[in-house]
Amino acid sequence: MSQMSTIAAMEMRRLTVAQGDSLASTDPDVLFTTVLGSCVAVCLHDGNFGVGGMNHFLLADPAPLADEGSHLLNRYGLHSMELLINEMLKRGATRGGIKARIYGGAKMREGLGEIGQCNIEFARRFLANERIPVLGEDVGGFSARRVEFRPKAGLARCKIVSSQPPERLVKPVPVSIGDVELF
Amino acid sequence: MSRRILTVDDSPSMRMLLRAALTEQGFTVFEAEDGVDALEKLESATPDLVITDINMPRMDGFGLIEALRSGHACAGLPILVLTTEASDEKKARARNAGATGWIVKPFDREKLGAAIRRVLH
Repeated sequence: MSQMSTIAAMEMRRLTVAQGDSLASTDPDVLFTTVLGSCVAVCLHDGNFGVGGMNHFLLADPAPLADEGSHLLNRYGLHSMELLINEMLKRGATRGGIKARIYGGAKMREGLGEIGQCNIEFARRFLANERIPVLGEDVGGFSARRVEFRPKAGLARCKIVSSQPPERLVKPVPVSIGDVELF
Repeated sequence: MSRRILTVDDSPSMRMLLRAALTEQGFTVFEAEDGVDALEKLESATPDLVITDINMPRMDGFGLIEALRSGHACAGLPILVLTTEASDEKKARARNAGATGWIVKPFDREKLGAAIRRVLH
């Protein structure tokens, strides 16, 4: 996976990765795209099998940054990452071949606290715990980003979106608790 | 004496989350990273219950349930599936293979504990 200088976006089928989504593909004509403020997107790629994926999440109940253990145990972040990894594995990726890039986590305005930084830290700690190498990051700062990712080739491009209006108060997408059924 | 639970999941983070959720409710936890690893762990230790993921390398959750139910020394153990999968087809497959219950992630700690206590009762 490497930073690409240009993307032939005209010929690509663009799929928007909205907050809460976890998408993966092996299609060479697919381009995942998203706009991030304080949210984080993780791009995963397995170059051995040409599988790539992207998610887009905002932690619903981030732990204090200093609380490393609790931070990693965030069930909403874990759920988003597990969905993404499962989508990768279903398309032929292997755990040992997956590499990652992290984007987003900006501080979009005063008063939003450290939400962006919490999202970045969760992603870093999760990937370290899963032994998934992080090839690059474009995170933090005070501006929104547009990320484009070609999943088959593993090519990513991240641009600061300077014209982006101040982020509305972004709320986590509710993740419903799963059903329990005893047979 | 605290009840022993074998958790089977290929994600170290999910195993960590499960360990935290179960130990705080008084259960003793030991872990395996996939179906093959679980069968190896069960050679030397017998839990009161198994909680297994479905999507795992080497041997998935379905394979583990089938292996345990087909004459294994631990054939009578309750097996709860804990998975991101919510399809009726996969749920039916697990039930037919002999699973005791099906829990969809993300899980609620109290609901998971309640389901375990009900199964172990």
